[in-house]
Amino acid sequence: MPLPEFEFHEPATVDEACRMIGELGEKTKILAGGTDLLVNMKKKLLAPEHLVSLDRIQSLAQLDSSNGSLRIGPCVKAAEMAESDVVISDFPALQEGASKLGSPLIRNLATVGGNLVTARPAADFPPSLIAYGATLVLKSNHGERTVPLTEFIQAPGETVLSPDEMLKAIVLEKPSPLSGSAYIKLGVREALEISLLNVAALLTLDESGGTITAARVVMGSVAPTPLLSPSAEKVLLGETPSDVLFLDAGEAAASDSRPIDDFRASAEYKRAMVRELTRRALTLAFDRIQTQ
Amino acid sequence: MKRMICITINGKKYELAVAPNRTLADFLREELLLTGTKKGCDMGECGTCTVIMNGRAVNSCLVLAVQAAGKEITTVEGLETEDGLHPLQEKFIENGAIQCGFCTSGMLLSAKTLLDRNPHPTEKEIRTAISGNLCRCTGYQKIVESIKDVNEGR
Repeated sequence: MPLPEFEFHEPATVDEACRMIGELGEKTKILAGGTDLLVNMKKKLLAPEHLVSLDRIQSLAQLDSSNGSLRIGPCVKAAEMAESDVVISDFPALQEGASKLGSPLIRNLATVGGNLVTARPAADFPPSLIAYGATLVLKSNHGERTVPLTEFIQAPGETVLSPDEMLKAIVLEKPSPLSGSAYIKLGVREALEISLLNVAALLTLDESGGTITAARVVMGSVAPTPLLSPSAEKVLLGETPSDVLFLDAGEAAASDSRPIDDFRASAEYKRAMVRELTRRALTLAFDRIQTQ
Repeated sequence: MKRMICITINGKKYELAVAPNRTLADFLREELLLTGTKKGCDMGECGTCTVIMNGRAVNSCLVLAVQAAGKEITTVEGLETEDGLHPLQEKFIENGAIQCGFCTSGMLLSAKTLLDRNPHPTEKEIRTAISGNLCRCTGYQKIVESIKDVNEGR
């Protein structure tokens, strides 16, 4: 299927890119990995007059873990996230999300930033990024602002980005030492799959290793946007990890979920799976603390 | 408006004018007549258009030719050397891992990037590496066995 015609722009710096998207106006789209945008253009769902490619801006394609936090350039590829030593050791749930996205071929193109900006409810990166407390740096000609990822995604396909703004970085704080995390994706096949639903979990224990001092359960594809479960957090905080506790947290997460019946599965099934996946993700997160 | 791009394909440098809305898959097939790269779904789902770009296997239907400027591309035509077919190609033939042949170019290139990075993959790693390449004929078994044979030097 031929792509509609457009003008192609390749800025060399973030400032130049911001100037371009500010000047070119609303019929402009930013091209990162292209795995979503180009498909939508082929399907004639989108016909931007201008494409601003971020390919040549090296600073956007870097992972920087030099000062205790992890700063992810939005153009870092899913495959690079899945292979990164710092992601594997400190952010295992993120590694799991990265390695489940699309197929190996797609992971070599698709970017972290693209996965956030497209704001799909079933996306593989948001749940673990939210669990790790990600904040996003947004930039335009008028300056920069920082927004937590929980506020960035507003609705399916909608974010708080204004038309002249772009995602400049994703920032995560390294979890405290006694922390464990995990991401589980449920689909009907192993590759090229859109999550039926997915769950990311993060647990932090106190120094004695007996009490949960921080907990996050984030669910994807069970609401219009990725959902942080306040009820699961409440169940877990201050308690001692156990199978029964994780089952209770699963119940709590399921009660916060708002799945709908659709062609992928019934709402009832999805709610039951939130319960089970939450239990498994918490168990895995806890195992990871113990094997540290 | 067309743009001039420099691109290295199978070790050969090209300097050509290309329309921005031309995908790399169409550019290879229609302008360079390298039709070993196939087009199936044209949506990044089937993997028949797989090429290696700077060492990584990608769907060339999801890359604009202008984005490939300055990069090194390997297509299936680039696998054969003076010494003959690539060992993967030899094993695919020996094992009958080809039926209609439409997925073969992509399978070979995905397998090549796997073996380049990981010369001794497990069966699971092999199956993961080709999971973006769909085959509707072989049931995958003979393809997996062929990649395994190269790995084991059989």
